[in-house]
Amino acid sequence: MIRICLRKVDLPLSPAPSSRIFTSRLTTQGDGVILCVSERDSSLDMTIRNTLRDHGQRYRPRMACLRKAEKVLLEMQDPKTGVRSQPQRLVITTIPHAITGEDIIAWLEDRFQLDAQEARSLGCMLVALGYIYPLQDHKRLVIKPDASLYRCQTPYFWPTQQWPVEDTDYAIYLAKRNIRKKGLLELHEQEHYNRLHKWMNHKWDFIVMQAKEQYRAAKERKKPDRVVFDCQERAYWVVHRPPPGTVSAMDYGLDRLVDPNADEGKTPDFYERIMIFTQQAIMRPRVKSSVSISALVKHCSTYKSHDPFLAKCLPSNPWVTDDVTYWTLNMPNVEIPTKMRVERWTFSFKELLSDPRGRDDFRLFLKKEFSGENLAFWEGCEDLKWGQASTMREKAEHIYKTFLARGAPRWINIDGKTMEITVKGLKHPHRYVLDPAQTHIYMLMKKDSYGRYQKSPVFKETVKKAICPEEHQFSETQLGHNAKKRRPSLSPIILRQLEQEQKAKMAANVDITQLCRFTTPVSHLAVYSGLTDFPTADASPPLPFPPHTPSCPSPISVALESTSASERRAEAGEGEGEGPPGAQAPAAGNATTSRVALSLRRLLKRGCASASMFASWSPKCHSATGTGGRIQPIGPDRPGQAPPRRIGNFFQIKVDIPPECRIYPIESEDEDEDSRAVSRGGEGAKEIICPWESLTPQNGAG
Amino acid sequence: MPLVNNKVGDDCTVGTDKALADGKALVDSLIKVVACYRQLASCVGGCTDSLQLRDELRQTREKAQMLAMSICSHLTSHLRNRSLPEGQRKEMELLWVAFSSSLELLHVDMCKVFYVAEIFALANTDALVKTGVQGGGSEMVARALSLPDLNQTQSPTLPAELESQERSTMEREISQIDRMIDDMEMKVNVLRWMVEPHGPQRADPLSSTDSSSLGLLSVDEEQPGPRPLCQRSQIFVLLLMSAVVLVSATLSICIVFFS
Repeated sequence: MIRICLRKVDLPLSPAPSSRIFTSRLTTQGDGVILCVSERDSSLDMTIRNTLRDHGQRYRPRMACLRKAEKVLLEMQDPKTGVRSQPQRLVITTIPHAITGEDIIAWLEDRFQLDAQEARSLGCMLVALGYIYPLQDHKRLVIKPDASLYRCQTPYFWPTQQWPVEDTDYAIYLAKRNIRKKGLLELHEQEHYNRLHKWMNHKWDFIVMQAKEQYRAAKERKKPDRVVFDCQERAYWVVHRPPPGTVSAMDYGLDRLVDPNADEGKTPDFYERIMIFTQQAIMRPRVKSSVSISALVKHCSTYKSHDPFLAKCLPSNPWVTDDVTYWTLNMPNVEIPTKMRVERWTFSFKELLSDPRGRDDFRLFLKKEFSGENLAFWEGCEDLKWGQASTMREKAEHIYKTFLARGAPRWINIDGKTMEITVKGLKHPHRYVLDPAQTHIYMLMKKDSYGRYQKSPVFKETVKKAICPEEHQFSETQLGHNAKKRRPSLSPIILRQLEQEQKAKMAANVDITQLCRFTTPVSHLAVYSGLTDFPTADASPPLPFPPHTPSCPSPISVALESTSASERRAEAGEGEGEGPPGAQAPAAGNATTSRVALSLRRLLKRGCASASMFASWSPKCHSATGTGGRIQPIGPDRPGQAPPRRIGNFFQIKVDIPPECRIYPIESEDEDEDSRAVSRGGEGAKEIICPWESLTPQNGAG
Repeated sequence: MPLVNNKVGDDCTVGTDKALADGKALVDSLIKVVACYRQLASCVGGCTDSLQLRDELRQTREKAQMLAMSICSHLTSHLRNRSLPEGQRKEMELLWVAFSSSLELLHVDMCKVFYVAEIFALANTDALVKTGVQGGGSEMVARALSLPDLNQTQSPTLPAELESQERSTMEREISQIDRMIDDMEMKVNVLRWMVEPHGPQRADPLSSTDSSSLGLLSVDEEQPGPRPLCQRSQIFVLLLMSAVVLVSATLSICIVFFS
């Protein structure tokens, strides 16, 4: 019995296209052609497929539409019930079996009980896949519902069996066309030709010879047949090597590792896999179908009018009409959202938060209600979760200091148990360490603020201002014009920069107005300006720091100088790679803040020097921080000022936190005796001590 | 690119020169047969598909396989001969590359024909795809087999039972070609990146007369709407100019006459 996989859809031929010339033969050796020989020659078993070492993806995915299109085409051939064909009259001769576009569409409507639009799309698909080719305007693979002529493609050129389309054949075809008339090749074809010439140079003699022979063999045929064959071949190559700018229906994505048409052998591995799968299926939690179905129904009925497949997309679906108004109207930072978008915000809190414009609106509302820190904390947690691993420690620290610590400027209200868990986890921060707190805050916002937001004047205003664009009515020519005007969108790099600039700007404008209950409202109290998500240091501090700046930062500048912190800052900055540009300065700031404690302790040990020395050093500090500016400085002069101010912060906060109330995690790591001594000496100290500061002096290096 | 000086008189080189020439001739004919086979294969499943076409395919295929086997043995024996001079070896390698490429093409065509023939059983002629082809492939078979004229009366009437036999033959032949390809690779190691082709690097255009007629047809097909108009407008302009020339000539004659 000869077992050859030819009865299946694909014949796995030498599965390497000619572009991989150097390895084609070798891999055929390696994985072998999947042909078995008859029993008599069972010693010559050809299934040498080496699945252990061969991880190449060479199998084209099953395209089920091709088999179905083939059946449709075969039905169309029936002389009685098929499509009516007519002869095509050319100058010299007539060629039979041409069918008009309108006949095809009418037949499809009749056969499948479709309406005209759908029949037309189906016809377009048949043409795009290469089963029917147009005789006029052969480069555009669409079906026109008028008297323009088409013809069926010969089965040799059908894509059904998914023979890999070889570059050798394409090279031969292009060479043939070159023989016929030099200079006939189009630009993209010439480029292909040159590229193939370079890559298949070793068989170029063969290609030219084969092209000539094919040309001569074709000449043996009668003229009409020759013309037909030329048209067929040309149509085949338009489908499989489409000109640039067109959409190819044969663009099926990646090749597969496993042949989708091959039978999987019943090996022990196979059965083991099935067993594991069924065991997991049994263990899965089950839901009553009434519950799940009703959830589905609810979801569908809510989102029905928002789905661009099921409902009209206003003004028009860009994928259909090539008009990008829809996308510009729904940009993340648009001023006036569309009505549909605003409606989506009312569906659930998750929708509101996931839409950047909705989040902006909500933030505005919260600002008016003076509970903006919840959303800021939530965003900080998201940033931590999705951010880079290298910055995680600083981010966690920063969030703790800003939101969770006692005396934090934007203190959030979470219950004691969650706070305990969080602080314990912050000893060894990881991505999800703030998850319980985040969930708590999320539920708080959802249950409380979300409801009020929907009744608030902010939201009502937004709803009133929301626009409802009119539907576009494009004519055929306009659609064609739009298709020509297609342009690629903004580069993602630019988009990201814009996003970050916007974030920084927004962060700069936020005022912290929530005070911790432990902080006495002193006039010069620290107001953290703009430290929601890693903002840049172009914070505009509204409070009068300057009077204190000359004296206060100086110990810090001493510390900075002594520990050459500017280098460290640069290190910290560089270590973050592509983090937001503003991150470098606050990281530097963080570095300096963490150094603050250290330097403070050192200073207390050494004793203060004279003020003049400090004053002389402070400009250096400024210049040092000035050099910490990064690639895209949002405000190059700002970074120099912010760290000292923030440092000044720590000296300004007069919090009377009883020492025993401070939250200190158990320090498991060794600390130098300095810090211990200082921490004992620094009881009732004025700065907010971060649980990690004493643990690792190299915090800033990230 | 090393020049092969065939005039160097040496016994062994003369022998291999002849072998080279033989090999070249064989490979050329294989390429020709493969081209013809492809033309025939494109008709399978179309409206001209018939027992005759299948028979023609079979004949072409058999000829191709015969050639392939002889080339295989010829080239393999020569390339395994270590005492082959360098220039000869390069030529042989070129032939080898051409041979393996044409074998691959043949393999693909055979598989396609096999598969399509399976779908389009000849019993049901209604299902054959109306491709617009009218003529048969007899001229191509003639070209392939290098016979001046194929005897048309020799139309084989294969009974239906033999179709399945035909299919199994085909399967066997496909596997044979496959085996040949693999054997070749195992026995002879030709480094493809070392092979340098000679000959025209771009395919030069052949005689212009043929191409123009074909070009005209294809031009006609492309846009029968605007194109004939363009040509008609050109003819119209020509006529107009000739008329103007005639009128001016007659006027000048009149002037000469009457002055």
